[in-house]
Amino acid sequence: MSRGADLLAYVSVRRWISSVDGLYHLTHQEWHLRLSILDEFCSSLGEDPDHVISASRLDREAKVEYMRRLKHLTGERYPEPRTAHEAQNVVRSFFIHNGARVLTTPFPPPQGAGGG
Amino acid sequence: MAVVEQSRPLVGTNFYQVCGKRRSIRWFKTWKPVERERLQRILEVVRVATSSPGNIQPWRAVVVEQSKISPEKRERLLRADNMQGGHAGAPVWIYWFGDLECAQPAAFKQRLRELIRAGAAPTSHGWSDEVAEALIDRGEEAPEGLPELREILHGIPLEASAAVAHAETVGAADIALLAAVNEGLGTCLCMPAAPSRMGVVREELGVPETWVPAWLQLVGYPVEESDAGGQRPKLPFEEIFFEGDARTPFRRQPEVVRELEQAGLLQAPAPTPDRFEELKRLAQLFGYPI
Repeated sequence: MSRGADLLAYVSVRRWISSVDGLYHLTHQEWHLRLSILDEFCSSLGEDPDHVISASRLDREAKVEYMRRLKHLTGERYPEPRTAHEAQNVVRSFFIHNGARVLTTPFPPPQGAGGG
Repeated sequence: MAVVEQSRPLVGTNFYQVCGKRRSIRWFKTWKPVERERLQRILEVVRVATSSPGNIQPWRAVVVEQSKISPEKRERLLRADNMQGGHAGAPVWIYWFGDLECAQPAAFKQRLRELIRAGAAPTSHGWSDEVAEALIDRGEEAPEGLPELREILHGIPLEASAAVAHAETVGAADIALLAAVNEGLGTCLCMPAAPSRMGVVREELGVPETWVPAWLQLVGYPVEESDAGGQRPKLPFEEIFFEGDARTPFRRQPEVVRELEQAGLLQAPAPTPDRFEELKRLAQLFGYPI
């Protein structure tokens, strides 16, 4: 289930782009990458973006499950943990800008730098 | 043990620049610890410079260096605060509490006596040990020239003491912010924990029941640009300051404004042109979404 440019038909995706670009002004290339990651995530779920957001906002457990599946998908797709984390952050951004709060654990500090 | 260099005099930034540079920093160099002497100087400034009614000094602070606590303790303290990004990244956490016992009548009277002996509360204005006892212990009416302490101190409930201790500690934390900026550090005040999880913080830090949480101060070297995206939005001067009565805005002289711009108090407002590019790169550096 791949939608590609069709993603733009969804309200949640348009809201995401508008909200991010209202602050950050990402390039077409950056958006192409972000949309492809979101598309891959939604395809893996077999659900459309609007449904993912509405389900997440209605039910915290559903949101947690989406995040679990996101980590699973990116872990399989991107062997390098940092790349997987960055891909997860694209989807987290989609959630955040649509009002579904998600927690992000930042990269761990460099070795020997203590806890933070 | 670190030795503070004795021959070098302390030099801070000038007062207007410190105030002008003060803004909430939420991105820190997680890899760079804060020197212990800088932390001590922040605390020393608070101890000396903060004012409070009757000199009650209710502020208490617990300094926590992330690198010196266990991963489990770090996790519990961060979880109590909902894993806020700035909190996770700041190398030093200063938890500010107000001790409500300091705002109880007996403590107030003791501090007031000290002020009388120190020559700060003068007999010329009517202060004496006997007057203090009459107003605070016996709830007698204050003579003209002295504050009506009976109404605010005699037999006050614990809740009122807690409110006073909290309010005065908020002022102390504000002084601590300026002291940290003067040390060239980034700093920010945030909630120490979700109110429902404050017990976790109390337990982890061994805080007495009489200490009321005020603020968590984050401290570290900023990884943001020195202007940190510009001065945050401020309410217009004339909307918040008045003269004579609350309907007459305090007249703001343009020449004073220009003078303060040159002195560094008034700086470019946020967002500066490259702020969001900076935020984007900071998010990438630390692994946050935008």
